[in-house]
Amino acid sequence: MTQIIMPPTPAVQTQEPLYETISRVLRHNITSGVLPAGLVLIEGPIAKLMQTSRAPVQASLRMLRAEGLIHRFRGRGYLVGAAGATSQPVRKSLDEYDFDIPEASRAALAIRGTWIRVYDQVEAEVAACQIFGEFRVIETELAEYLGVSRTVARDVLSRLNERGLLRKGATSHWLAGPLTARTLREKFELRSIMEPAALRLATDYIDPVQIAAIRARIDQGDALDTAELEGAFMRHCLGRARNGALVEIIASNRLLLSSMDKALIDLGLPVDVVALDQYRTLFDLIGLRQVDAATEYLKEHLRILSLKSLARLKIVALIPESESIPRYLVKV
Amino acid sequence: MPADVRTKPKLASPPSVTRRTLRVRGTDVTLLEEVRLLAIDDLGFDVEFESLDFLTCQHRAAMDPLNYDIYEQCFHNLDIVWYWGALQPIETERIKQWDNIGSLAKSGGISKYTWQGHGDVPVRKLYVQPDGTLGQQPMPQISMLPTAHNVDSFGYDRRLFGEEGPEGSSWAWLLDRRARGRIALVDEPAIGIFDVALAAEASGDLTFEDIGNMTVDEIDSLMGLLETLRQQGFFVGSWVSSDQAEALVRDDRVSVQSMWSPSYGNLGAMSGIFCESFPREGYRAWHGGASLARHLTGAKLDMGYEYLNWWLTGLAGAVMARQGHYMTNPEGVRAYLSSEEWGYWYDGDIARCDLKGPDGRIVVRKGQRRPGGSYRERVSRIAMWNTVMDEYNYAARSWKRFIASLGTATP
Repeated sequence: MTQIIMPPTPAVQTQEPLYETISRVLRHNITSGVLPAGLVLIEGPIAKLMQTSRAPVQASLRMLRAEGLIHRFRGRGYLVGAAGATSQPVRKSLDEYDFDIPEASRAALAIRGTWIRVYDQVEAEVAACQIFGEFRVIETELAEYLGVSRTVARDVLSRLNERGLLRKGATSHWLAGPLTARTLREKFELRSIMEPAALRLATDYIDPVQIAAIRARIDQGDALDTAELEGAFMRHCLGRARNGALVEIIASNRLLLSSMDKALIDLGLPVDVVALDQYRTLFDLIGLRQVDAATEYLKEHLRILSLKSLARLKIVALIPESESIPRYLVKV
Repeated sequence: MPADVRTKPKLASPPSVTRRTLRVRGTDVTLLEEVRLLAIDDLGFDVEFESLDFLTCQHRAAMDPLNYDIYEQCFHNLDIVWYWGALQPIETERIKQWDNIGSLAKSGGISKYTWQGHGDVPVRKLYVQPDGTLGQQPMPQISMLPTAHNVDSFGYDRRLFGEEGPEGSSWAWLLDRRARGRIALVDEPAIGIFDVALAAEASGDLTFEDIGNMTVDEIDSLMGLLETLRQQGFFVGSWVSSDQAEALVRDDRVSVQSMWSPSYGNLGAMSGIFCESFPREGYRAWHGGASLARHLTGAKLDMGYEYLNWWLTGLAGAVMARQGHYMTNPEGVRAYLSSEEWGYWYDGDIARCDLKGPDGRIVVRKGQRRPGGSYRERVSRIAMWNTVMDEYNYAARSWKRFIASLGTATP
């Protein structure tokens, strides 16, 4: 086994999150009028322009939407401008505008190590393919695909292995998937064991102001979707538990589930209104410091979520393997 | 019944009134032209049918929810469309004959003493629970109005297998070595997999802890067995539509195969040679129904309810009966069948005269008796239901690879 070189985590924490940088650049271009109202913003082209993965772009688009600078429409992506404006979607490439990346942000984007940049992307791709079956990851293809050295590619794969998204097969090949109902059931079972426990441990460290803010946003209407609420619950509630190891296991265990949700939403899964209601109740109970009730409710919420996820996985059977599966992933 | 518009005098120029239309998406199990014409006669609006194969139908119902008003399908694949949010709950208080709907759909069996069967028992998907999931706890809202249903087995060649005897045949015949090279399977994964699973368990080749919800390992074993048999030349191929199944029999290319009730009336010279089995292990059952699309509101929603209520008036049920399917409210159907028809299809009597199918062709000859007997006898012997099990994604992908390796047995 080669020694695994892990990324220097502390260095990363001194930087602002990548999505903040991206948000700043986009905000700058929207408020200065470079990007016209109604322009369709899609994560892929923005990621390409900023040379990042899609995940942080997605996060920053959500942020701008919450700020009211962009809004959702009946198509893929977002439209520039506030939701009330009745602008027609403008589908043009960003290259057609004088898109401006300020010097400071340019440096912040470039400074991020190759490793971090590619990791998010590979994590998303490796997780997303698994609903379609079992895949082998070809290390040399991955290095070539990303334009990085084999050492970097191997590090990325080792990290995915550590987080449970990949495993080594009998012949030392990297294997991913398949995401079966069994995997799903096991992951939810783990969630219902670990998350209520973490919530209990976190109780005294949860910031009531944060919870009130989330509640206020749910009440305002469509500002949040279930993925965001899952994220908020992780960050502001479970993540506060004074047990770093537990929090990390919980986060890893959720990875595959949230990427499955992401894949299903990309396929057109509509917003689950019942689930939104359940989050509202959950945050209410947490806000009221009803620890016992909140943990019991969380268990029930996870039971229902597990049932729905199992049912939703069934529809994947009808969908042909995505053509967007990158070439370093080969169907077994 | 409304007055016949055709007898009215012609107008000089037709009035430019746009007739209202209800769009129904479903499969050819219930979307029969005869049914559509009867519905248009009775309802004050047009009815359009969009008939699709099982998988395309589910896919489009979920992913393209705005382009239909009514979804007619089976309870077993309801999970897919329901949890995709494409349908809306049906208020049972708006279903006039709700109280006449049979207990097979409402409570899971025709009597509390009958075994419900493995897999997707319809009642477990019927009632909309307060948390938005589907379950068997009775609630005032349902996911799908139960309508046509039936119990299926397989068809076999009497010349090879002989008479069934009092015990009935066995699902094991479907993978019987004597029929090697002359076996065909239906390609639909929620059905075909269970035909062979029942066969593999009946023959003793495999056992399943729960045949209605197989594990990944059990699916792998089943596919392994099928692959071995395929290499030994057991299968002539697979079929997609009933027409193909019937052609395989008429061309004398199969000795045993998956087959559905309406096909037995279309076998020509092979009728009486190729028979519907009465397996001792029990039947594989299915239950159809109709659901309301999520987008329906106001007057359109009212039309949806009118159509659902119409399904239970008995006319549609009579058409279903003539191809062998049962309705959830049999007594309502009885008024629209002759006593000979009722006797043969529902009571399991010997046919007192030739009987016609929905399209007017003779499908039952005088003197025949329905295999398995009466409605009560047949539906009390359900081994399992068509099922979209938890590992459906995994199973359907494996099944698809197997079916592709067989090729379609087009004559």
